[in-house]
Amino acid sequence: MAVARRPMFGEQQRFMLFLIAPAALLLLLFQVLPIAIGANASFRDWALYNPKKVWVGLAHYEAVITDPAFLEVVLPNTFLFMVISVLGALVVGLGLALLLNRPFRGQKIVQTVLMVPLMVAPVIAAIMMRWMFNDQFGIVNAVLEGLGMEGQPWLVQRWTAFGVILLTDIWLWTPWFTLLLLAGLQSLPREPFEAAEIDGTSTWRVFSHLTLPMLQPVIVVCVVIRAIDAFRTFDIVWTLTGGGPGRSTELFSLYAYVLAFLNLDLGRGSAAAIVGGLIILVVGIVMYRLVDRVTKS
Amino acid sequence: MAMVRQPLLFARVPPVGRRLLFGLALSVICFLFAFPVLWLILTSLRPESGVYYVHRGTDFTLASFAEVLHEERLVQAFVNSALISTLATVFSLLVTVSSGYMLSRFQGPASRTWFGTIYVFRCVPYISWVLPLYFVAQSWGIYDTYIGLLLPHIAVHICFFSWLMKGFFDGIDPSMEHAALIDGCTRWGAFIRVALPSAIPAIAALAVLCWLFTWNEFLFALILTGNKVPMITVVMAQFVTEMGLRWNLMAATAVMALVPAFLLALFGQKYVIRGLRL
Amino acid sequence: MMRMVRRTLVAGAAVLLAAGAAQAQVKELRIGYQPSPIQDASIAMFESWGAKNGVKITKVPNSYGVYVEKMTASLTSNSDQYDVIWHNDDWGQTWAHLLEPTDDVAANKFADKWSMAPVVFANAQGQNTVVPMGQTFSVFFYRSDLVKPEEVPKTLAELVETSKKLQAANKVKFGYVGGMSMNHSWFSWFWSMWANNCDVLAPPYERDNKKLAANGWKSMLTEPCMKETVEYWWDAINTHKISPRGMPAYDRNEANAVFMSGDAAFTVADSLWWGTFNDPAKSKIAGKVAATRFPLGPNRAKPFAWDDIWGWAIPKSIAPERKKLAKEMLAAMMVDEEGQTKLWKATGAPPPNTTFWPKIAAADPFMKLLKESVLDSPYKVRGAYYFANWPAVHKAFNDTVTKAVTGKREDIAKVLAEGAPSVSKAAQ
Repeated sequence: MAVARRPMFGEQQRFMLFLIAPAALLLLLFQVLPIAIGANASFRDWALYNPKKVWVGLAHYEAVITDPAFLEVVLPNTFLFMVISVLGALVVGLGLALLLNRPFRGQKIVQTVLMVPLMVAPVIAAIMMRWMFNDQFGIVNAVLEGLGMEGQPWLVQRWTAFGVILLTDIWLWTPWFTLLLLAGLQSLPREPFEAAEIDGTSTWRVFSHLTLPMLQPVIVVCVVIRAIDAFRTFDIVWTLTGGGPGRSTELFSLYAYVLAFLNLDLGRGSAAAIVGGLIILVVGIVMYRLVDRVTKS
Repeated sequence: MAMVRQPLLFARVPPVGRRLLFGLALSVICFLFAFPVLWLILTSLRPESGVYYVHRGTDFTLASFAEVLHEERLVQAFVNSALISTLATVFSLLVTVSSGYMLSRFQGPASRTWFGTIYVFRCVPYISWVLPLYFVAQSWGIYDTYIGLLLPHIAVHICFFSWLMKGFFDGIDPSMEHAALIDGCTRWGAFIRVALPSAIPAIAALAVLCWLFTWNEFLFALILTGNKVPMITVVMAQFVTEMGLRWNLMAATAVMALVPAFLLALFGQKYVIRGLRL
Repeated sequence: MMRMVRRTLVAGAAVLLAAGAAQAQVKELRIGYQPSPIQDASIAMFESWGAKNGVKITKVPNSYGVYVEKMTASLTSNSDQYDVIWHNDDWGQTWAHLLEPTDDVAANKFADKWSMAPVVFANAQGQNTVVPMGQTFSVFFYRSDLVKPEEVPKTLAELVETSKKLQAANKVKFGYVGGMSMNHSWFSWFWSMWANNCDVLAPPYERDNKKLAANGWKSMLTEPCMKETVEYWWDAINTHKISPRGMPAYDRNEANAVFMSGDAAFTVADSLWWGTFNDPAKSKIAGKVAATRFPLGPNRAKPFAWDDIWGWAIPKSIAPERKKLAKEMLAAMMVDEEGQTKLWKATGAPPPNTTFWPKIAAADPFMKLLKESVLDSPYKVRGAYYFANWPAVHKAFNDTVTKAVTGKREDIAKVLAEGAPSVSKAAQ
């Protein structure tokens, strides 16, 4: 009992500090510091080729949030992308997890195949997809035309281009959902399902009244983390369409990238990135509240 | 690891047909899922004149692989990538296990502040800090060094993994640790000898995913390496030139890079599924 | 910035004083480049010079994807990573103030005057900052097995007619294919626009920033010549179907892939592609490719040629003895006839020393063609603009014309008018 009576406060705090110290230090040096430099640049006239570093206040922020392209094209695109990408990967991932959550011959092979998108670098996968959806040499049109259907110029029409981006993104992220949900399914208690079977409850009812509610905590955490990532999706969109045709598939991270990397305006680019970061921060907190409520109930 | 008996999806179809249907559906799904990578492999085997029109023509060759293997830095790049991926995995897990444990076991302002920090920095997009990161690495003299590549690759996982680790520890009953504390164990003892072993499956799962992430990471590697520490992704990216893409060489390199990732996924998947329970 | 420069100068002076004897000891030059046949051939000349003079040439390859960003960051942070770097007309003015003047490289007198013009590469004091690596420009390629030299289209209208004829006779799937998406505008938009007395900013072909600024960075998107250009491509894709429907999204890789598969009769690509197009290992049309002048639009009667260089530059911030050695190496490269002939043969890019051109042209008909139709042409066009915001202007331009050409035909004028202010705004 001596342990419990020791003055815990100082010791406990020291323990907490030691637990997070290495992570905090690395975070500080390689994430907080660079982000702070970027944040500093966002208030200054800081062209990459000519860093005058003159203070300009909120001018860059004003330019970003009053840019009609940012408000009317980029933000709606980003939110639309986020919602469909997360929902799509969730639905497909859940379906596959349910499919895999039962013993059958060749299950291991199927599981390995479903992890394939994790094995290839996203940029390479995106280039491959771009060529596959090329209207001339792409295999997709070749198959469609072989079946007697008309091939499409996928990447020059806004919604088909958007569709190709979403397809690629969902393909890349479905394994995550499948793995997390499958792990979740396998840790569910068996009793309620056995009881339901004895009662002869219908398949759909078991799914909607038992499986889904019990998986909900896992689902919501997946969704929040993935939504934040989806909001910042960059490399596959840049590779597939570059935001085109026109600017019709431009997402927020492309907007910031073009400013900082193409126009070499580190100040304006950082400001755009921070604006986007703040937006997803707020959206994420709302979603996180949801997580909290769901896990507590 | 008991399998839960799941509701059957095709309850009204007779058993034989049901099995057939199930097998067919699975095969189709697997085929579509693996298709982009299968197509990439096929691409890498086509002669350079056929790497775009992959389906037009039936001549195959290993010429692209032979040409890539002539790249002097290729072997070094494979070694570097494997080394950095492995070290980054080990160290990210080391620092995030303890950080996630702290988040899970302690409530109060310190814990909330740390979680808030992690959350905020998770939201900041990559592209806003890779360029400043280049300045930082350069001013510290660690640009194009192992340490300069390794540390940012560890740092980038801290937020995500701390969050996931917290979830794992939340799922582990803390009463064992309390008992150990009462028995005279130190806090560190309770953490390392009691909590940690129950978290091993989760750690193994994250290890597999972390390794794959680092192995396939592009932007950091591009910004933070010159020629002394080439990574495999950097070698691939160098087939993109102002003149255009050397797609046959890129595809061949990507296929070679696929092999270690595939082996890891093949042998690591059982740990992944066992471990990823939030 | 000034403080940094001053600090570097002080540091540089200190190094000099401390290691007076070390001056002779620079035994290594670090080349920041991007692997491609022309740069490889140029570096081969550095290496043979290095072997003779006991200097180690260290090659530091960079990826194209982040080359400008990283190099700019490296130049402004005085990182001392490179002694010689790949330079390009596109960012000639972006970097001019960060580069060592090269007026004292005497061998630059052999370089082509047009492509070394001060408007592209001079710093604020009017000093040149580049040593050329080779001439890079595009030409109009056609399939010599399908079209006889005298049948090659001379105008944009003939390009449509000839293409349709070939397609109707089932000789080829498409007439013209060329890159069109962002950063590939040259291979459809730019050449056809220049062929029609049109340009991104008014007045056409003007590259003097003062004059462009005085004109309010006026975009030419609202001019009739631009409407004609966009309508031309709209018709080519949708009405005449001489170009693939996916073309507005094509980059140069996709366009060249279609051309090299034998599915198109005409394309525009860098002259450096000559070797690849004619290599049976890489192309299905090897030996069936020829090049010529660009077809012209209704507004232009005289031919035009576009001519730029790639070059090498020296960062301002490196130590003086390194600069000196780097200049010696570049000067030696400029007069290396054997190496430059190899560069020509490996790439199809005319080498940097103009005095070697007649000899190469006498031996090689392709060089003869390039010399007559491009290098010696009195009607030259510059492939880019030379102010820092050019990438932003280029993107605004490309976004607008892409939107117009993928929309309805009757909306073209409206879309162009809507996009015009974004181009002018991006320039300022």
